[in-house]
Amino acid sequence: MGSLARAYGRPLAAVIAGITLVWILVLILVPLGAMLEQSLWWRDAKGDVSLQIDRLYNEISTLQLDRAGAADPARQAQLDAAMAQKQAEATALEAQEKNPPKTYGLDNFTRMSGLHLYIFVRTILYALMVTGLALIVCYPVAYVVALASGPRKAIILTVALIVPYAINELLRVYAWLMILDYRGVINGVLAWLGFINLDAREWIPFLENPSAVFLAMIYTYVLFMVFPMVNTLETLDRNQIEAARDLGASTLRIHRRVIIPHAKPGIAVGCIMTFMLSAGSYSVPAIMTRGQGGDWFSQLVYRQFYESNNWNMGSAYAVSLLVVCTAFILLMMRLFGVGLRDIAK
Amino acid sequence: MRGKDVRLDQVSIRFGDATAVQPTDLSIHAGEFFSILGPSGCGKTTILRTISGFIEPTAGRVLIGGEDMVGKGPNERPTALIFQNLALFPLMSVAENVAFGLEARGVAKAERLRRAQELLELVALGGYGDKKPADLSGGQRQRVAIARALAVEPSVLLLDEPLSALDLKLRQHMRAELRAIQKRVGITFIYITHDQGEALAMSDRVAVMSRGRLEQVADADTLYADPATPFVATFVGEQNVLRGTVATLSDDDAAIDTPVGRIIGRAKGPLKVGDSALVLVRPERITLGGTDDNQVPARLTARNLEGAAVHLHCAAPAQNFTVTVTNGPEVRALPDELILSFSRRDALVYPEGTLAHG
Repeated sequence: MGSLARAYGRPLAAVIAGITLVWILVLILVPLGAMLEQSLWWRDAKGDVSLQIDRLYNEISTLQLDRAGAADPARQAQLDAAMAQKQAEATALEAQEKNPPKTYGLDNFTRMSGLHLYIFVRTILYALMVTGLALIVCYPVAYVVALASGPRKAIILTVALIVPYAINELLRVYAWLMILDYRGVINGVLAWLGFINLDAREWIPFLENPSAVFLAMIYTYVLFMVFPMVNTLETLDRNQIEAARDLGASTLRIHRRVIIPHAKPGIAVGCIMTFMLSAGSYSVPAIMTRGQGGDWFSQLVYRQFYESNNWNMGSAYAVSLLVVCTAFILLMMRLFGVGLRDIAK
Repeated sequence: MRGKDVRLDQVSIRFGDATAVQPTDLSIHAGEFFSILGPSGCGKTTILRTISGFIEPTAGRVLIGGEDMVGKGPNERPTALIFQNLALFPLMSVAENVAFGLEARGVAKAERLRRAQELLELVALGGYGDKKPADLSGGQRQRVAIARALAVEPSVLLLDEPLSALDLKLRQHMRAELRAIQKRVGITFIYITHDQGEALAMSDRVAVMSRGRLEQVADADTLYADPATPFVATFVGEQNVLRGTVATLSDDDAAIDTPVGRIIGRAKGPLKVGDSALVLVRPERITLGGTDDNQVPARLTARNLEGAAVHLHCAAPAQNFTVTVTNGPEVRALPDELILSFSRRDALVYPEGTLAHG
């Protein structure tokens, strides 16, 4: 702060510090804190509270009938008192029903059903598979782009990478839907070639297979894998490749010993990005499966919020996903031996 | 390790429309320290990369040890290349760097590390195997690159200006070291440089290149004393350049009319009376007040002291001369008006041609 003030003067330093503070608050602390807070409490919505209230009102009605039939003032006073007491009880219960007491604890995390846990684990595994497949697909692309030079590079970059990404993500996913649908492009071509008969519903149900989601996801997130790798590969001294070749190394060995070790930070960043995006992706599985294939965890989180209306449970699910993703980042960093500094590059 | 001879047979290299190397014949002997000297862009690196197999010649053949190298990649040739920036693998230790070529050949780990240690000792880096290249000094990295190249037991070692990144003192030290290593291992060294000092100091023979063409291939003494073309004459060492026309020719003597009068020199190349010609005289071959074949009166304009030698800048009518003399008390007491004289053996007369410095 002192050096900032010296460099920019007090007012500007205050503005910079203020913006940073607002940024941290609005973009990091408040949303994360709110979600974490939500996930840590729940209200005991006891089903019998409404029943008790109903029963109390029934009793009050009975007492009212008794009161109407009673002539003895002492009896009347006794009934009035009983009614007032029941009414007080009912009011208290009603208040409890309207605003059940908050209980803090970790129950939201431990109450996940077996099925949901299974979906959670499967989503993480799927996301890992998407990441792995994307890595395999993107490494050669990144290598070619990074080592191409001059106008060729610009052409490859624009045609192969930038143009597809100028299109909205949803449109790109729907495009794959059209390609893979029952009466989509692939089935259409197969039918045209005479392999299947669409009218007899002989189409291949691509969309009912998780690999359809994989495909669309890889396509959607390719750029996040390619660009970090291109960035690191571009800094590789090509003489090193030639030196390795001159020393008799095979192409495979050159990649394994020289190029991949150099590209490690880029690979780590690409994997982290792709994993985070695919583990948390809602639109791709929602659109591609149309409810025909298995849910992804992100869809469960959505349902907890908007269908079960249980924000606490939804928050707990979201936090669980966040924790696993963070663990994944740390694991990747450890595995690839890269520090935050490398990644920030 | 045994050196092999390298022969270029009518090799020419074109990149698209640009010709990098004109059709060239070159024969490098086995076990020789051979340098290719030339300004940047003359095609010397292209020739080196052609020998190493990174570039296929557009026409002609490369023969190493008598064997035609056509279709053989850099990993299949008995050559090893040391890159200008060395291209050490920064993420591997020094020992792993040196052992990399053996690793690629499937040598077992213990054996290749033992060989790497031997080579590191050869280049006096025995204790540095576990360090990373970045931890070493420039000269040490240089020696690691040499050890790494020698590990694959090449018959021909190709060096692409590997000393250019070092400072002057270290460069001079590494020259001697390279020469000593070459003597010890006995293989053929082909050394690319634009630094004439390096080429002349280390090499058995030097080829001078200009614009994709070999100007002259000779040992250092011949290059200096008897350059074949005006380019070689001016690229290697300093020259006083006089322009004129041929007045008379007899045997190998030529008389040239220059702005400072008639100069008699040694004819190099085909000359006819009336042709325009270049006369080149080395600054240290000019004496003061002598009685040699050629005498030019001139006025001393500046004196540049360079320790043992002193460069005198002299102006004759329409012609400047540089004269290099040994330092001494008589140099400090020189008069302003001098007579520069030089022998007809030291004035080389060429047909008009390209000079190295404009």
